[in-house]
Amino acid sequence: MRYIKFLFSLSALFFFAACDKHHEDGETTELTITFKALYNGQPLEKNKLYDYSTYKVEFSQFNTYLSDIKLLQGTAETLVSEIEWVNFTPDFATDNKAVDVTIKATVPAGDYTGIKMGYGVKPSLNAKRPSDFAAGHPLNKEVEFWPGWKSYIFNKIEGQGDSDNDGTPDIFMLFHCGSDKVYREYSFEQEIHVHDATSSLTVEFDLKNLFYTSNTWWDLTASGNQATSNLATDVRVAQILMDNFDEATTVK
Amino acid sequence: MQKSIIFSIFALLIGLIACDQNTPEPPEEVGDLVQYPYEPKSYTIKKPDHYPAVPVPADNPMTYDGVQLGRRLFYDPMLSGNNTMSCASCHLPSKNFTDGKQFSTGIDGIQGKRSSMSLMNIAYIVPDNPADTFLLFWDGRTKSLESQALLPVEDPIEMHHQWINVVEDFKNHPDYPVLFRKAFGITDRSQITKELAAKAIAQFERILIGSGTSVYDRYINGEISLLQDEALDGKLMFFDEGNPFGLPDAECFHCHGTGTLSGRGFFNNGLDPFDLIVDKGRENVTGNPNDRGKFRATTLMNIELSAPYMHDGRFSNLNQVVDHYLFDAHPTPYANPNLNLLINKRQIYTSYHRTALVEFLKTLTDTAFINNPDIQSPF
Repeated sequence: MRYIKFLFSLSALFFFAACDKHHEDGETTELTITFKALYNGQPLEKNKLYDYSTYKVEFSQFNTYLSDIKLLQGTAETLVSEIEWVNFTPDFATDNKAVDVTIKATVPAGDYTGIKMGYGVKPSLNAKRPSDFAAGHPLNKEVEFWPGWKSYIFNKIEGQGDSDNDGTPDIFMLFHCGSDKVYREYSFEQEIHVHDATSSLTVEFDLKNLFYTSNTWWDLTASGNQATSNLATDVRVAQILMDNFDEATTVK
Repeated sequence: MQKSIIFSIFALLIGLIACDQNTPEPPEEVGDLVQYPYEPKSYTIKKPDHYPAVPVPADNPMTYDGVQLGRRLFYDPMLSGNNTMSCASCHLPSKNFTDGKQFSTGIDGIQGKRSSMSLMNIAYIVPDNPADTFLLFWDGRTKSLESQALLPVEDPIEMHHQWINVVEDFKNHPDYPVLFRKAFGITDRSQITKELAAKAIAQFERILIGSGTSVYDRYINGEISLLQDEALDGKLMFFDEGNPFGLPDAECFHCHGTGTLSGRGFFNNGLDPFDLIVDKGRENVTGNPNDRGKFRATTLMNIELSAPYMHDGRFSNLNQVVDHYLFDAHPTPYANPNLNLLINKRQIYTSYHRTALVEFLKTLTDTAFINNPDIQSPF
């Protein structure tokens, strides 16, 4: 009799397990996060002249790594993604508009109070190299790793400017932030309702706010201000930019 | 008791049926090739430890027989209209899978307008995201090795053939039907298609990975502790690490990456004044005028063996290439800022800096790769 009960239980389990594959798990749902690049509140466009202090600048590249994207519920954290490479200026583009980058993740349904993101590659992953990751992984990219720093390039913001407005560029912006010292984490309070697969969230990065803080423009004409340093020990510019990402980020 | 037994058997049967629906019996194979075994063996691409994993698309897994078929197709002149030219005619192993000419010439004696690109480490040229879908060729007009492999066969200035005829020739060939069977499991020669041929060629091209035995590879792997003085200085300049030693940045690695030094972006590198650019390059693919004169940055591994240089083969040696970047490049409105920065500070460079960079580039020479027996002609 005991044997029959066991067989019955096993059969029932097998039956339900077999059928369960066809059912959605009611406790999780899909969340879409869209990342956008802006300048002064407007969608970023490559090679468009933007007002910057008393002169003009244009941007040609903007990409960034984000680590440990988490939804917050008070003090509780729900991981959405461990690492993403968000590239607003891909190689293939029929026009100059920065592209929106979308990620989708399955998360527990519920009401969240905010989102937290790591800007750059978190130290545990930054200790690795591109060859440590499978093809297609965001950290597999050789061109985003700098051996001299022994670090991934957390973000690239490139462009040029014309400080004397004579039509010839004389400012070459080459901001490549990297190394553990400049890794930052920021949290943003925002009611985020995740109840079905239409749930979405928008994260905007406004480049103007990276360079314009406390009513002051970052002086691109000053020596050493046009690029991050090649030396891993000199993170002055990178730290300022990474600090400013907090203000440059808006969550909607 | 009896009811319990019946119920258990019933439940078990339902469970089995439920699962059975997902695993239908394979249909019996029919066709003129079924007598030949189809036993796909996974092919592991050999690569140095410090190279990233080689991307392989899910719809074209690497198999031993797939690679062997691709290798044979790559070297087989029957893919050309007059049986004289194969893929390898423009991509010779001895010349690092280029042809060593400024412009390649097709079967009708017509010269193309671009130089043959090296296929070394080509497997790494894959999209970073769905938007970056067009990356191959100098102007990135195709998405994948599979789609790229289809084009030269029908190009009137290259192999000038028609796939419909090539496929017919495969079907009537004494060997190819069985080789396609072994590679892809087709059951009948009528199932041979140009797409399968392209998949096989792509599999072969994915194994064209550097050996990791160049001086530079061994240096970064710690197998040798020092580069010669000039090469070391060039390396420091290449990677913008020379400031502490009084060496100027040469900004090279921004476009040519690290590890395999495989570029994947498209750049206007100031070869001509913007208004005088004849070959519009990437602009012809994207339609974006800002892409005028942009071409893909190639891998620099084995660059010493890949002459001539640039999309139009205008430079015959590395001195000319480095001179271009350090001293001669034209400023362009849509160049990468690294290039305009280089131009802006060109007065700091000397002939020693050129020599140092060239000596560094020579440390990338990988003769073991070009002599690898696995990638030579099977004929």
